[in-house]
Amino acid sequence: MESATNDRPQIPLAPAEEPKPRATGAIPIDPEPFWRLPITWFRALTIERRILAGFSLVFVGILVISAVSYRNTSVLIANSGLDTRSHELVQLLSNIDVAMDESENSHRRYLVTGEALYLQAYKTVVEQKPTFFKYLNDLTRGSPEQQQRVGLLNQMMDRQLNAEAGAIAQRDGGGFEAVRKMALEGAAKQELSTIHRIIAEMESYERQALRRRVLESAASTTNTIVLLSIGALLQLVLLASVYYLIRHDITERRRIATELQRRGELLEAANKELEAFSYSVSHDLRAPLRHIGGYASLLRKTVGESLNEKAVRYLQTISDSAKQMGQLIDDLLVFSRMGRQEMLLTSVNLDQLVKTIRYELRLDLQGREISWTINPLPEVPGDPAMLRQVFMNLIANAVKFTSTRPIAKIEVGVNRRTSGEVVIFVRDNGVGFDMQYASKLFGVFQRLHRVDEFEGTGIGLANVRRIVHRHGGRTWAEGMPDKGATFYVALPTRRPRS
Amino acid sequence: MTAAKPILLAEDNPRDAELALAAMEEQHISDKVVLCHDGAEALDYLYCRGQFKSRLKGNPAVVFLDLKMPKVNGLEVLRIIKADTNLRTIPVVMLTSSREERDLAESYALGANAYVVKPVEFHQFLSAVKELSTFWGVINEPPPEGSCSSN
Repeated sequence: MESATNDRPQIPLAPAEEPKPRATGAIPIDPEPFWRLPITWFRALTIERRILAGFSLVFVGILVISAVSYRNTSVLIANSGLDTRSHELVQLLSNIDVAMDESENSHRRYLVTGEALYLQAYKTVVEQKPTFFKYLNDLTRGSPEQQQRVGLLNQMMDRQLNAEAGAIAQRDGGGFEAVRKMALEGAAKQELSTIHRIIAEMESYERQALRRRVLESAASTTNTIVLLSIGALLQLVLLASVYYLIRHDITERRRIATELQRRGELLEAANKELEAFSYSVSHDLRAPLRHIGGYASLLRKTVGESLNEKAVRYLQTISDSAKQMGQLIDDLLVFSRMGRQEMLLTSVNLDQLVKTIRYELRLDLQGREISWTINPLPEVPGDPAMLRQVFMNLIANAVKFTSTRPIAKIEVGVNRRTSGEVVIFVRDNGVGFDMQYASKLFGVFQRLHRVDEFEGTGIGLANVRRIVHRHGGRTWAEGMPDKGATFYVALPTRRPRS
Repeated sequence: MTAAKPILLAEDNPRDAELALAAMEEQHISDKVVLCHDGAEALDYLYCRGQFKSRLKGNPAVVFLDLKMPKVNGLEVLRIIKADTNLRTIPVVMLTSSREERDLAESYALGANAYVVKPVEFHQFLSAVKELSTFWGVINEPPPEGSCSSN
């Protein structure tokens, strides 16, 4: 862990930026500025993750805007409810005001005339008062100030009505003269004016509250509009960035696809050329060889009797060389064909395959003493003819390179098996090889033994490697001079993709 | 026995032709061999035209065809023979240096009766030609047929 250079929390950087361990006391290199970290983080992401990050930001933006809009709209709706209540309250107060005026005036007319008809307004107020106060209490709920005024108003109205009731009783008992003064001035003049004042106060309070709410709603609406505009702009920028990312990626992919196609076409052309070449090798190079061998034979037949031993050997060498070159050409053609031949993909039973190969080799095994150990082998996906050639080569090699042993030992088995591949080995107690030449073993026309020791053109193991590579596998070998050799073939247990 | 019927050998390479004839000589059938040096000449023989206008009528016992020949190649000759009602019964043996799969496939698709790769080794070549000419020219009973076709 590096020494702490500051108390900022350590945020892991991209692997490339990992600071190297440095000696204590050395001047610490200042880490990247804090604000650059998101950019570094973003650059390290794959295109899919970048797009996901972009869309996530857009989504979070939409959530925030929705939440704020919801809150503002709720305030607007609540305010409009309160406004309705205020208007109703103002209307009710003015009704009460009018009713109390009416009650006082008509009551005075009654005091003067004694006509019972004029008592109607007073009676109505007395009747309606509980209803009025029920509404008043409802409409002022949540506002203690107004409730207090409602209580006061209730008292005053009671006093006015009581005063009026008293005056009516006096008029009924003592006639007009008893209430003459009251009829002229009004029984509850003072109470009525207090009622007018309270009602005016309440109205003014309500109107103020209304004005406040109008201002609040307007501010909230402005906020919402500003927020929506900024949000929309940000979303637009984000979406445009994501679009740019995707577009950039698509363009890049298209360019790569075109490039790949172009290279594919070039490869195909090269392959065609190679095919034409090997065809011509196959056909044209073989004819002169045939003629060399043929005419050498004809010559020997024509002048056979008169030739001395040396001349016979020369002619034989000419024939042998032609034959050998023919073999080399054939091997080379097989090798080149192996590279382009279509692969047939089926399941190959290696047990059966090795059994067949041993049967096919039986003529070569005549006069040899070989101790075979064939362990159980698995089934693998692959081309049967190609895999047959692999194991034919390996087993024929084992037979060939043990020919100097009185008792040859050849073992075939599974070396190890993982989920992805199986490693098969072919081991012999033959002449072996020096590990320092191990890398040459699988090369084309590479031989580790002289031709007069062991025959062969040196193409067998090259074919083995090429076939195994085409199956998606690996080959290697271990050996020691005069101590035998082991050849390993690792084959995938799942089908290769092509 | 079909002693009278000739063997048609279409071979452009004079050395290959000479070696083949040498092999047939050992079987004493070289006098039955008609040698053509390209595909066009082989077709002239089969259709009794050109230098073969006045030849004895009748199809050969067998045609040995090289693949690669100037003017008309072996596959084209084969196609013409197998498309002609009078000629298509003649056994045709492809005798070639090519072991290419597509040559093999195409020859058989066109109706070749046999496909033989000329061995590089002379003794093998010798025995191959001997066996072929003995089998197709002597042992095998060719199809009955009329006269030379007039195309």
